Amino acid sequence: MKVGLFIPCYINQLYPQVGKATLELLEKLNVDVVYPSGQTCCGQPMANSGYEYESVGACNNFVENFKDFDYIVTPSGSCAYHVKKHYNIIPQTEAVKKVRDNVYELCDFIVNILKIEKLTASFPFKVGVHKSCHGLRGLRLGSCSEVVGDSFSSIEDVLKMVKGVELIELTRKDECCGFGGTFAVTEEAISVKMGKDRVKDHLDNGAEVITATDTSCLMHLEGLINRNEQPLKVLHIAEILNSNI
Amino acid sequence: MSHSKAASIFNTDEKKVNWHDKALWFVRHKRDKSVHAVEGWENLRSLGHGIKAHTLSNLDHYLTEFEANAIKNGVQVHWAADAEEHNKIVHSILKKHNAKKIVKSKSMLTEECHLNPYLEADGMEIIDTDLGERIVQLAKEPPSHIVLPAIHKTKEEVDELFQEHLGTKPCGGDPQYLTGEARKHLREKFMEADAAITGVNFAIADTGGFVVCTNEGNADMGAHLAPVHIACMGIEKIIPKQEYLGVFLRLLARSATGQPITTYSSHFKKPIEGNEMHIVIVDNGRTEQLSRPDFRASLHCIRCGACMNTCPIYRRSGGHSYDATIPGPIGSILSPGKDLKKHSTLPFASTLCGSCSDVCPVKIDIHSQLYKWRQIITKETPQPLVKKASMKMMGKVFSKPSQFERVGKVARWSLRNLPKSVINSKPNVWGKERDLPLGPKESFDDWYKNREKND
Amino acid sequence: MIGIKTEKKMTSRENILSRAKANKPDLLELPVINVEVFADGKDLLEEFTKKVEVVGGNVVEQNVSETIFSQVSKMYPDAKVNYATLEGAGDFNTVSLEALKKPHELENLDVLILESILGVAENGAVWLSDGQLPIRVLPFITNHLVIVLKKENIVPFLHQAYPILAKKDNDFGVFISGPSKTADIEQSLVIGAHGAMTLTVVLK
Repeated sequence: MKVGLFIPCYINQLYPQVGKATLELLEKLNVDVVYPSGQTCCGQPMANSGYEYESVGACNNFVENFKDFDYIVTPSGSCAYHVKKHYNIIPQTEAVKKVRDNVYELCDFIVNILKIEKLTASFPFKVGVHKSCHGLRGLRLGSCSEVVGDSFSSIEDVLKMVKGVELIELTRKDECCGFGGTFAVTEEAISVKMGKDRVKDHLDNGAEVITATDTSCLMHLEGLINRNEQPLKVLHIAEILNSNI
Repeated sequence: MSHSKAASIFNTDEKKVNWHDKALWFVRHKRDKSVHAVEGWENLRSLGHGIKAHTLSNLDHYLTEFEANAIKNGVQVHWAADAEEHNKIVHSILKKHNAKKIVKSKSMLTEECHLNPYLEADGMEIIDTDLGERIVQLAKEPPSHIVLPAIHKTKEEVDELFQEHLGTKPCGGDPQYLTGEARKHLREKFMEADAAITGVNFAIADTGGFVVCTNEGNADMGAHLAPVHIACMGIEKIIPKQEYLGVFLRLLARSATGQPITTYSSHFKKPIEGNEMHIVIVDNGRTEQLSRPDFRASLHCIRCGACMNTCPIYRRSGGHSYDATIPGPIGSILSPGKDLKKHSTLPFASTLCGSCSDVCPVKIDIHSQLYKWRQIITKETPQPLVKKASMKMMGKVFSKPSQFERVGKVARWSLRNLPKSVINSKPNVWGKERDLPLGPKESFDDWYKNREKND
Repeated sequence: MIGIKTEKKMTSRENILSRAKANKPDLLELPVINVEVFADGKDLLEEFTKKVEVVGGNVVEQNVSETIFSQVSKMYPDAKVNYATLEGAGDFNTVSLEALKKPHELENLDVLILESILGVAENGAVWLSDGQLPIRVLPFITNHLVIVLKKENIVPFLHQAYPILAKKDNDFGVFISGPSKTADIEQSLVIGAHGAMTLTVVLK
């Protein structure tokens, strides 16, 4: 099994530690993983802003970099979802179809493809999971509160394998954090308010750490937490799964 | 005004935002409790979706069938291509009966057509009889929600409004007292009404009948007492057979308020002997929306308001921030179809979180349609030059790995070395209330290359 | 302008229908309803009673030792204006519908007793239609509404109710679930908006 690692643009530039944790984790799990050096971005920032046509170059570059892998794994539910859902704007060649079918968010890959049941990680903290929307309602990484059916969560499954993690219950289990790409600046007031409410929910319920499958959500929440000097640590889920405290 | 501007004004009073958010979340919570207790709920949603999709795919047939059956039932059927024609038709019926005092139950269609001011201009008195609608009517405001028209008003505000207009005693906003006074006030209006106008929740092709749902009983009090009943409906209200009400009535109230069904689900078919019943069937842009494959499913909407209650943006920006007859997520996919320029900011008033699509009882892919409207809006309406240019630049940078690396390096250096006052200066909207991450010296890319070298 | 043929303008009806026809997608299949997926095995009587109470109404059993009229009279000792459509109402009825000039005169009706032919367990709704309604406004204008329903006429879901209704030609009919209510002032539930302020279902 040949796995290509996709590190989203903002993680590559601003949160390299998330990329490192992801790579190290996959290696610990004995995955034959390669990081293709020509990768940039999935194209989502332009597309969600209404400029899908400006993202065609990014889409093609993505496919070019990842078309030869059996699986593409990324520490971002949002980017994986974008490739799956919105890569219909370029001609559907075999390569494009293959890439869209085989791109996976990290937890999804660990739980549902690798079928891992044990991890060696330990992380003795109270953790609140912010269920990033594109992973939750796009990739269906777990059940959401709106839909009637059995309760499940790949994210919680994988976190439960980490020694010491105490998952806290949130009052609003799966409300959006308000990042939303360019929404964060074009609708600044609402975005900030949503983020503040999300942070408060974690604090009210005793979380020491807030985690998510998406660094974009976390960047937004961390920005608020740091500005307001709140006692909450922000970590991407890969960092927890790769930790040994 | 753009949605974001209106939303930021609404957000100057954080307490009120919290109150508004909580009130609507409470309704969403009641919906959850109710639907999670229904065996086969997701099947029910699929049926609702399927029946509506089928109906639209044979709409002309079902409209014709409905008309023929309604006429057989002794109902007079009228057709209006647009809002103006709708208003003219309603006006002419009222004029014929010399109606001066009219009671109206909730109808988003008549809001859309601005019927009230049209009739008032001819000296007619038109009273909205749904309590929430009466409240906003007295306040001279449009409804801020399609099911809970006065959800933005505190009980103290209603208290003051009633003191001013209905002569009630100050009561500290006691809902029981205020509702009791409204009952008395509106009873008088029902007693003296010359005509009643209602909306239509479902129009049934195979019987020619239609169903109106209320909790208060106001539609029935109006329609059964007045000598003339005018029911106004959009063409998308049609369902093929009466038995499908079993699907839609199960979905509607549970999604709207968490009730298992509205208090009254009134099935009108024939007029009372000696009275008149009219149905006005309105297009007003709906056939245009039907022509758009990406957006036609928006016509499935049964107006439950669940997408508003769940929308984290709606809850924190208030219905009026949308400046549209139908606010919230569903409004944001309907309104651009009517006036793309006026409503061009609405599809961007969303994080595309998808909650709206998952609560929708007829499975409208609302968030996907928001995404699709964005693609159209950037092409067909004037966009800020900066946004356009930066998107083009980003597009270029991301298509060439070498450029991406160069730009990333500069950005990281800036975040690391520029003083915070510069980083968070005015053009950086992000930095108004949020810190930016510190720029790391090394990107993941750099780190990976070094690691490979050292291996 | 002689010689120029003016085409007859399309009516709005023709216009709407032709646009609907031109703009609709290819025909999509109607889904088939399989009511079995909704079966939840709940006890009908228990569920019906629970739902009527959830929506703000009461359920009582008909007292076998007295008439429905005396049973209801005891429930509303202060009522002055009463009417029942049931046989044998006799002097329970203080108004004569035949004597009314218009339905508005029912404004002071205190208690109304009607019979329903159908109740729905999942939502506590009871069906009333022209057959049981000599005047349509009756169940809305009365202050208190009492509906008599046979236990065997309760069906589990609306799916089972509509086939029964399809066999009857109802000019007007209504499902009533609980008393009239509103929550339009700050989401506070207030019973008694424009319609009946109480609803009691008497099961027999």
